[in-house]
Amino acid sequence: MTTYLAIFICLPPICAILALVGTFNNEILHWLHRITATIFGLAMVKLAMDFDPTQPFYNDYFYIDALSLWVMIIITTLYVAASWTAKSYLSREEKCGVLKGEQLQTGRYFALMQLFCWTMFLVLIVNNLGLMWVAIEATTLISALLISYKFTKSALEATWKYVMVCTVGICLALLGTLIMYYAQIQAMGSANALDWVYLKQHANALNPSLTKLAMLFLLVGYGTKAGMAPMHSWLPDAYAEAPSLTSGMLSGALCTCAIYVLLRNLVILLPTAGAELMSSMMVFFALLTVAIAVPFVVVQRDVKRILAYSSMENIGIMLAGVSVFTAFSLKAVMLHMYSHAMIKFVLFFMAGTIIQEYGTRNMMRIHGMLIDVPQTATFWLTGMLGILGLPPFGLFFSKFNILTAMFKSGHYIAGSLLVVLLVGVLIGILYHGMRMLSDKAKSRKPIGDLLQPIDILVLVLLLLATVVVGVGFENFGWLNHLLSQAVMIIGG
Amino acid sequence: MEYLVVALMCIVFLQTRFMELRRSTILLGVQSAFIAAACLVIGIAHGGGLHGFLPGILTILVKVIFIPFAILKVVRGLKDEREIISDINVNYSTGVAALALAMSYMIIDRLLPGFEGRDILATAMFMIMTGLALIVMRARAIMQMIGMITMENGIYLLGLIMTEGLPIIIELGVFLDVLIAVVILVILTSRLRLNFSTTDTNVMQKLKG
Repeated sequence: MTTYLAIFICLPPICAILALVGTFNNEILHWLHRITATIFGLAMVKLAMDFDPTQPFYNDYFYIDALSLWVMIIITTLYVAASWTAKSYLSREEKCGVLKGEQLQTGRYFALMQLFCWTMFLVLIVNNLGLMWVAIEATTLISALLISYKFTKSALEATWKYVMVCTVGICLALLGTLIMYYAQIQAMGSANALDWVYLKQHANALNPSLTKLAMLFLLVGYGTKAGMAPMHSWLPDAYAEAPSLTSGMLSGALCTCAIYVLLRNLVILLPTAGAELMSSMMVFFALLTVAIAVPFVVVQRDVKRILAYSSMENIGIMLAGVSVFTAFSLKAVMLHMYSHAMIKFVLFFMAGTIIQEYGTRNMMRIHGMLIDVPQTATFWLTGMLGILGLPPFGLFFSKFNILTAMFKSGHYIAGSLLVVLLVGVLIGILYHGMRMLSDKAKSRKPIGDLLQPIDILVLVLLLLATVVVGVGFENFGWLNHLLSQAVMIIGG
Repeated sequence: MEYLVVALMCIVFLQTRFMELRRSTILLGVQSAFIAAACLVIGIAHGGGLHGFLPGILTILVKVIFIPFAILKVVRGLKDEREIISDINVNYSTGVAALALAMSYMIIDRLLPGFEGRDILATAMFMIMTGLALIVMRARAIMQMIGMITMENGIYLLGLIMTEGLPIIIELGVFLDVLIAVVILVILTSRLRLNFSTTDTNVMQKLKG
C-alpha cells in the first residue's frame, strides 16, 4: 500500500517540475504527460484490484476506504482521459488561433494540470479533516491558474470571481472545521485532533449545538466549492472561460471532490446534529440550485455556459440524493457522480471542439452539424442524450433511483418539483442541441471535422463506461460490493 | 489581552476608513502584527515549546512581512492609487463594521454563554464580518484582497482562542494556502492592470447569464 501511496504522492509533482523547468519541446512534453498519467492510472487499477473494501487502509496521515477508492477511480479516469486527449486539443487550439505566441506554453499547462489532479488526490487520501480542508483550498488555487490560463479579459474576470467567491466559501468551511475541533476538545480532549477515524468512533460524544453550528458552516462552505446555489455565481463563468479540458475536470472531478468532503464531514456530524436538519436544508438548497439553473439553460446562447448550468442541475440532483440519506439514494448518488463526471467530460471536450470548428461560442450561429461535421455531431448528440438521463446511459438509472428514493422517503412535493424542473432542463438542452444539429449551415461554415482517432477512442470508452456501469453495476460483484461498502461508511 | 482587543478593533475600524492602497496595506501589516502578538501571548501562556512559538513566528514571516510587501510591490506599479468612490461608501462600510461589532457580541453571548475570552472571541467574529463587508463593498482588487486577509485573520484568531491552536501540520498547511493565495491574487492583479489598465473590479462586467 505504501508503494501505491508513494506513486500517487510523488509522480505528478515530479512530472510538473520537469514540465516547468525542463526545456523540452512539445512532443516530449505530451508524452511525459501521457506516460505519467498512464502509470498513475495503472497503479490505480492495481490498487483497486488488490484492495479489499471491507478492510480500510489506515495510518496516522492517510486513510483509504471504499468511499475514497470510488472517488479516486472517477478522478483517475478523467485524469488519464484528459492527458490522452490533451495533445490534439492543444494543437488544434493553436491552429485555430485561440492560443497564440507567448500564451502557448504547453509546459505550464501540463504542470498545472498535473498539480491540479494531485491536489484532488490528496483530498481523497488524507485522514485528517483539517488537512482535507488544506487540500481543497489548494485545488481552488491551482485551478484558478488553470482557468486564467489564456489571460484574456473574460478569463481574468472569471478567475477573479472564482477565487474571491470560493475562498470566502472555503474560509467559512474552515470556521466550521474549527468549531468541530472545539466540540472535539470539549468532549474528549485534543488528542487525535480532527482525525476522521477517531472522530467517527466517538461521534456520539460531541456537543449537539456545536455540531449543528459546524454543519451549517461546512454545508455552506463546501457547498460553495461544489457550486450549490446561491453561491454558484462563479460556476458558469469559470467553466465557460477555462480551456475545455479543464472545464471537464472542474465539472467532473472537482465537484465530486467537494461533495466527497461534505459527505466525510456529515458522517461525523449527523449522529449528534440529527438528520432532519441536514435533510431539510439540503433539499431546499438542492431544489434552489436546479431551479436557478433551468431558466439559464433555456435562454442560453453560449455553448459552454449551457453545459455549466447543466452541471449545476446535476449537482442539485446529487445534493437531493444526499438529503434523503438512505442506502438506496446514496448508492444512486455514487453512481451519479461517476456517470456525470464521464459524460460531462465528453460534452465539454465536444464543446471545445465545436468552438474550434466553427470559431464561435454562440449556439445561434451554428447550424447543420449533422451534414458538415458528422463525427462531432454524433458525439455531441450522444453526450446530450447521456446528460439528460436517457437510457441506456448511467445517468438515467441514477436520476431515476434518486427520484424514487425521494418519493419513497416522503419528499412528495420536493420530488414532484424536481421532476418538473428536470423537464425544463430537458427542453432547454434538447432545443439548443437539435437546432445546432439540424438544418444547413447558414452564416458560418465549419473548417471540418477535427476529431482525431485517439480522441474518438477515449470518448467512446468514456461513454461505454457509463453505460456498462450504469446498467449493470449490480451484476459486477466487485463493483456492487465496493459501492455497498462506500454507502455503509457514510451510514445511510 | 484587553489592550490587544481594543487595538485590533481600532485597526479594523480604521481599515474601513482608509481609501489609499498603500496606507491600507501597511495597516494590514500592523493588524497581522497584533495577531502575531496574540499568537505569542497564547503560546507562552500554554508553556511555549515549538508548538507555542511556531504559529506566531510564521504569522510574522508570512502575514506581517511577506504579504504586505508583495501587495506593496503591486501597488507601486499602479498610478491611480486611490479607491475612487464617494465618502458615502466609506461611511456605510464603517456603519456596517459597527453593526458587525454589536452582532458579534450578540452571537457570542447566545452561542457560548460565559466563555472566558468573550471579548477577544467577539473581536474575531467582528473581523470576519468586517472582512466580508470589505470584500463585498470595495471595488478595487487590492482592497478586496485586504478584506480577504482580514477575514482570514479573524478566523485564525477565533481558532487560536477557541482551540488553543490547530495541530502543527494543519497549521502549516493553512499558512501555505494563504501564501499561495496571495501570490496568485498578486499575479491576477498585475494581469488585471495589464489587460484592463486598472484594478477596479467594476470594469469586469462582461460575463452574465
